[in-house]
Amino acid sequence: MLYKSLIPYIFSAMQLAIELRDVDRSFKNHFWQRKKQVLRNISLEIYEDEVFGFLGPNGAGKTTTIKILTGLIRPDSGDVSIFAHPPNSLDAKRKIGFLPESPYFYEHLTGREFLKLHALLHDLKHYRKRVDYLLDRVGLVEAAGFQLRQYSRGMLQRIGIAQALIGSPDLLILDEPLTGLDPMGRKEIKDLILEEKQKGTTIFFSSHILPDAEAVCDRIAIIIEGEIREVGDLSALLKKGTKTDEISLEQWFVKQVEKPRQGS
Amino acid sequence: MHRIIAIVENTFKESLRQRILLLLIVFSVLLIVISLFLEPFALGEAPKIMRDFGLAAASLFGVLTVIILGSALIHRDVEKRTIYTVLSKPVKRSEVLLGKFLGLSALIALLELGMFLIHQLVIFAYEGAFAPSLFIALPFTIIEVMVLLGVLLLFSSFSSTTLTSIMGVIFFVVGHAMPDLKLFADQTRFATLKVIAHGFYYILPNLENFNLRIDLAYGIGLHADQIVFALCYGVIYIVFLLYLTKIIFDRREFK
Repeated sequence: MLYKSLIPYIFSAMQLAIELRDVDRSFKNHFWQRKKQVLRNISLEIYEDEVFGFLGPNGAGKTTTIKILTGLIRPDSGDVSIFAHPPNSLDAKRKIGFLPESPYFYEHLTGREFLKLHALLHDLKHYRKRVDYLLDRVGLVEAAGFQLRQYSRGMLQRIGIAQALIGSPDLLILDEPLTGLDPMGRKEIKDLILEEKQKGTTIFFSSHILPDAEAVCDRIAIIIEGEIREVGDLSALLKKGTKTDEISLEQWFVKQVEKPRQGS
Repeated sequence: MHRIIAIVENTFKESLRQRILLLLIVFSVLLIVISLFLEPFALGEAPKIMRDFGLAAASLFGVLTVIILGSALIHRDVEKRTIYTVLSKPVKRSEVLLGKFLGLSALIALLELGMFLIHQLVIFAYEGAFAPSLFIALPFTIIEVMVLLGVLLLFSSFSSTTLTSIMGVIFFVVGHAMPDLKLFADQTRFATLKVIAHGFYYILPNLENFNLRIDLAYGIGLHADQIVFALCYGVIYIVFLLYLTKIIFDRREFK
């Protein structure tokens, strides 16, 4: 019990890797349509060295949040920082490794050429060693000379993880890294995430595959219809509101989704 | 600088490996070689026709290649989301833009050089001698392609591939009709039309500045000031287009 009361103090002493404060974002698909609010007043603090699961159903706003974190889009209002830098600054990008959802890469490049490109974008002088190391680490040494259009979905996901790791990032942002993979592929990616966790890399990953999130996350946030419903330590959240034993994340998640929105 | 070179290299390789490029190369080489068989229709002007036809084929190759590959250059990356991983790296958007521009320009420049060399071989096969003076047209053919690529990048930074290709064709056609537009602007009696036509004449790229085919094919002497003006005009226009594209691309969101 004592360590739980210390958690807020421990976190306050740690450096923030990601900070989102009162972030709003709306879109309209066509100029004649009304704007749709996609993110409402999102506030999150993710600390160094933690694995943070960003969970929510499809269309909840996970990818939009991640695009804001990687500087691909801007919030309508609110503040965002990555290690105290604006997300679209080069200082922030030097610390980030990013894997987008269902990634497609330059299909005419070989796996090795693709990693070389990303290594050079990081200004890595001795990129050959790093490329070889990562090809080995994601198990693609044999396929390094094949063009990416010949890769399977699982291989693309692994080369995608390798490009995210190429600059030895302090923060890994992974958007649905386990979606569409077979059980073996999911295990391989989970193992990679856990290895990075052991190295002390901060990991922010979105998913709607709950058992996988349960296996790797320290803390989670639930986003539903653009609002953060819950944030916290995974085991504490699972016990919250139940008089009996800890329920599964899946049961808990369904309860959260079915809860009416605040104010409605 | 390393980052720009990496994007140049990537764009060069990606474009080189597009299958459509092979078709364009075969089509253009055939067009150049066909000029060997134009003698019966040339009315004794075969050497001049051969020069004009070959230079036109090389120029057409550059224009078709840049419109087909250039209009999808940014849009394909956005559509396939390959731009997401590139822009999440410590690289400025202007560096991505410049790298893509230089990568495709370098590829087309190299292929244009190949087309000019094939043209020389065709001339040698017919006349038994090369015509090295035709190489003066090479940098201008490349600059024309670069100006068109600048136009394509500008439109592809905010519109679809189809619209970008259409704009590329329109700019190419209008760009070569500039002397006619000027004549129209000078001679029309309607004041409003005169202002509009003059406006278009000064704003749109005048691609005729880079067209030295007739002068070279018919042995008309080129003046140094004509060459210097065309070079300066091309470089300034390219810088202007890239700067405009940078402003739009910097503000663009990837939803």
